[in-house]
Amino acid sequence: MRRYRAATLLAVTTTLAACSGGGSSPTVTPSATTPAPVVVVTSGDAVRLGKQATFGPTLALSDRIAAVGTAAWLDEQFAASSSSYADLAVRAVPLNYCTAMVPAVSTCTRDYFSSTPVAMEFYAHAVGNSDQLRQRVAFALSQIIVASDFEVHTTAGLAGFDQLLLDNAFGNYRTILRAVTLNPYMGDFLDMVDSLKAAPNENYARELMQLFSMGVNQLNADGSLKTDAAGAPIPNYTAADVHDIARALTGWTYARLAGAAANDRNQLDYSKPMVANAAQFDGSAKTFLGTTVPAGATQDANIDAVIDAAFNNASTAPYVAKFLIQQLVVSNPSAAYVGRVSAVFANNGAGVRGDLKAVIRAILTDADARGIAKTGGSDGKLKEPVLFTLSLARLLGAKSDGYAFVTRDAGTGQAPFRSPSVFNFYPPDYPLPLGGGLVSPPTKLMTTATILARHNIAYDWTIGGDSRTEFAPLASITGATGTQLDLAPWEALTDPAKLVDTIDLVMLNNTMTSQQRTALLAAINAVTDPVPATQAHKRAQTALYIVAASPQFQVDR
Amino acid sequence: MPVSRRDFLRLTAGASAVAMLGQLGQSAALADGTSSYRAMVGVFLFGGADNWNMIVPTDGRYAAYASGRSASLALPQASLTALPDVPFGLHPSFAPLLPAWTEGAMSAVLNVGTLFQPLTKAQYAASPNLRPLALMSHSDQQNEWQGLRMREPNLDGFMGRANDREAALAVPDLISLGGSTLAVIGRTSSPLILPSSGSLVRNGFNGAATDMPTVTRQAASTAFADATGLGTPTTLTSGAIGGGYAMALTTNAIISATTSTVDQYFKNPTTGAALTSDVSRQLLRVARMIEARGTLGHSRQSFFVSQGGYDTHSNQVDAASTTTGTQANLYADLAMALAGFYNAMKALGLADNVTAFTMADFGRTFRANAQRGSDHAWGNNHIVVGGAVRNRSIFGAYPDVTLGGPQDIDTNGRWIPTTAVEEYIGAIATWYGVAAADLPYVFPNLAAWTTAPRGLLPMFG
Repeated sequence: MRRYRAATLLAVTTTLAACSGGGSSPTVTPSATTPAPVVVVTSGDAVRLGKQATFGPTLALSDRIAAVGTAAWLDEQFAASSSSYADLAVRAVPLNYCTAMVPAVSTCTRDYFSSTPVAMEFYAHAVGNSDQLRQRVAFALSQIIVASDFEVHTTAGLAGFDQLLLDNAFGNYRTILRAVTLNPYMGDFLDMVDSLKAAPNENYARELMQLFSMGVNQLNADGSLKTDAAGAPIPNYTAADVHDIARALTGWTYARLAGAAANDRNQLDYSKPMVANAAQFDGSAKTFLGTTVPAGATQDANIDAVIDAAFNNASTAPYVAKFLIQQLVVSNPSAAYVGRVSAVFANNGAGVRGDLKAVIRAILTDADARGIAKTGGSDGKLKEPVLFTLSLARLLGAKSDGYAFVTRDAGTGQAPFRSPSVFNFYPPDYPLPLGGGLVSPPTKLMTTATILARHNIAYDWTIGGDSRTEFAPLASITGATGTQLDLAPWEALTDPAKLVDTIDLVMLNNTMTSQQRTALLAAINAVTDPVPATQAHKRAQTALYIVAASPQFQVDR
Repeated sequence: MPVSRRDFLRLTAGASAVAMLGQLGQSAALADGTSSYRAMVGVFLFGGADNWNMIVPTDGRYAAYASGRSASLALPQASLTALPDVPFGLHPSFAPLLPAWTEGAMSAVLNVGTLFQPLTKAQYAASPNLRPLALMSHSDQQNEWQGLRMREPNLDGFMGRANDREAALAVPDLISLGGSTLAVIGRTSSPLILPSSGSLVRNGFNGAATDMPTVTRQAASTAFADATGLGTPTTLTSGAIGGGYAMALTTNAIISATTSTVDQYFKNPTTGAALTSDVSRQLLRVARMIEARGTLGHSRQSFFVSQGGYDTHSNQVDAASTTTGTQANLYADLAMALAGFYNAMKALGLADNVTAFTMADFGRTFRANAQRGSDHAWGNNHIVVGGAVRNRSIFGAYPDVTLGGPQDIDTNGRWIPTTAVEEYIGAIATWYGVAAADLPYVFPNLAAWTTAPRGLLPMFG
């Protein structure tokens, strides 16, 4: 690590020398003239951890990680009090709530039957709340266990579903699987609710196995595909398994508002777990995944048997481990890395399977995750749109009620909680085009339009960032606060070289080339204003725009 | 010398002519002038459309259809849009395409699906290794339809591979309006991916700027395009971003012009209102890109279009009527968009030069579930729209729809396909101009379908 940093500094020094031959003579920064102290190296690692474990490192956050170290910072995050959607859970209302309003209220559907309030809170929390790791893990979980406002429109239901993921982000994966299975929002999304014994609906049964736990094919403990003697993949389950699990999951319906009886006359309550409807439960024997549930077993016993079969499947540990690594650290993890994390999923060291806190710690403290930027052939992870926008906003010192983000996210291809299907916004094995077999899941969202949408957010929120309409509080939203940016920490770096140094460290992990450094300094120096504060503001905007829009920032390493 | 369509067909009908074109390579086969312009437009129905309700037999087989689907999902015979000359009718939502059928510009392919090799029910049961991988999984079956490797990982798609064999162009002539998807990923080439709505403007960019702040800022942005040594994902992302900026400059005027001569055809045939569905907006922009083919220097164009929402496990049809509901609405959007597109092509004089065809994850269970829906299955039906298809013809074989019968892999009506995706799409790609020598590259499993009676469907001519 020291050697890498030294090489970078050498390049920086050379660049500065070249620059000083030109017009203005930038001050040589202390860090470029003194030997690299260990703390600088640690900062590079701290910044990298910030990219993996939060919605984007800020100067303050990087300093905090560097000050306390990885282990202590993770402990702080595990202990931080959780963000909450509790204020939205109370919006559980009858389905005719808006249509019955006299006079009609035009924002009613948005506020009670859309993902907008949930997404706004998601962004507000992500920009400003300190439980960054919990939120980041919950967001990752929301992409492995997907339920979407694309099909099911209830604000309270969606808030409850996402709360479940937040609450259990450091809990046990089995707890999540069981709670999700009886969650009414998921129940509606994948048709398990009111699945009847006469013709069980297979939708949830299939995706529980394929997407939420073991995956289609058997995996080795290191995430690689297990093959039979003929070299063919070995399916984890058959159509008969799907069918019998669907039978085991029959006989559940919505709770009704105010605890009313579960019949057709009473209004559905999406904020409470589903309740048994014994008359529609198939109580006969089932056989699936090597498990037999005897005839007469209770509905709860059936649920537990299904969850245990999914949770304890040998492929579930590597499947979930690899997915979370891809979400947090790198798109193409080594088999050894997956294997190490998978082993922790299987056993946290105290005999517990599925301990997510241990899994997250294993992911983030692994040798493949720590250290400064990794720039090997397969290293790198494209920032998914939400992460790109939030990382930029946090660098810009944003405080937000989330509305500005909601106006932008569809254009980037990723509106949180509005995945087009249970298959998330992108599959974990989406090929990196021309990548020779590498995958890059978020690249599925890179199109001409979204490439420009990302660029335009970077431009509009920096150079175009003063007094934007999208930042103003929206009158129709009760308690709206809008969005405010604060570039003061960047404006304080009035020495262009220092500004560039800091951007290089916090945004690019010190991978800026000498040519890029020269060009960035030229762009900064070309921005002048007779008022020093204005000049500092505009220079910060220009520098942050150029780097935020760059491919180097858009891909984390 | 330009080759007329008829000449091209006559030439390609002969094996020696095919061999000749193969020796010349696809770029030669595709490089002809506007007179031989061709486009294929694949419309993927994401979620797995239940196309057993798209086309329904109207002869003696209707009774078995009605019985197998039960009152939950079966369309009343009287509701079907009858197709002259064949014993089939379409879902009533497809009425807007009846004129295309009548004009000989529409076809259908029955019980087509992913296959590794020809397969009987006995073989299916006895030899899992003869089946495509991960049947009934959305993601895997989408990848197999688009990637056409049935038992290996799919890392690229048939449209992308066809594009690999064409000369690289300033603006790619493989264009997706349905986002980035496996079908358009090539091994050596890149597609153009355009949005179905909105314009493509890079805020703050001015290539003609002369003021120093803008000039130096843009120079810095250019310098940051260099991602050498940062790893393949960063390097390739940098290339993609640069490509996106360039394509925006080239194509924005075409896709976001306020009007074009083709827009007027995308309307509801009953009300006359402009179509607003996403699939209609995609096809409208396809039509605009076809209209601009000369400007773009395209003598061939292939397009990927998508429509989502077909995973109808519940409420596929309304409780009151099987002819209304989710499926009927999706079909209506699709049919009106395809009809509008066909009419636009006619107006451009390109009805015979453009072929649109549907694809989907899989067919759905013939047997209804308890929520007026259907679950994941296998064989499916598809439609082809364009003046080049054989007059009023239907290809493939309608299955014996006995639940648990000889073509059902279980008891829910999951039919083993009797036509392979390669036989279906391979025929379209060959018409489009993929050279015989390139077919094995574009369709890796084609060899399984070259022994008579199997082979590319005789859909054209």
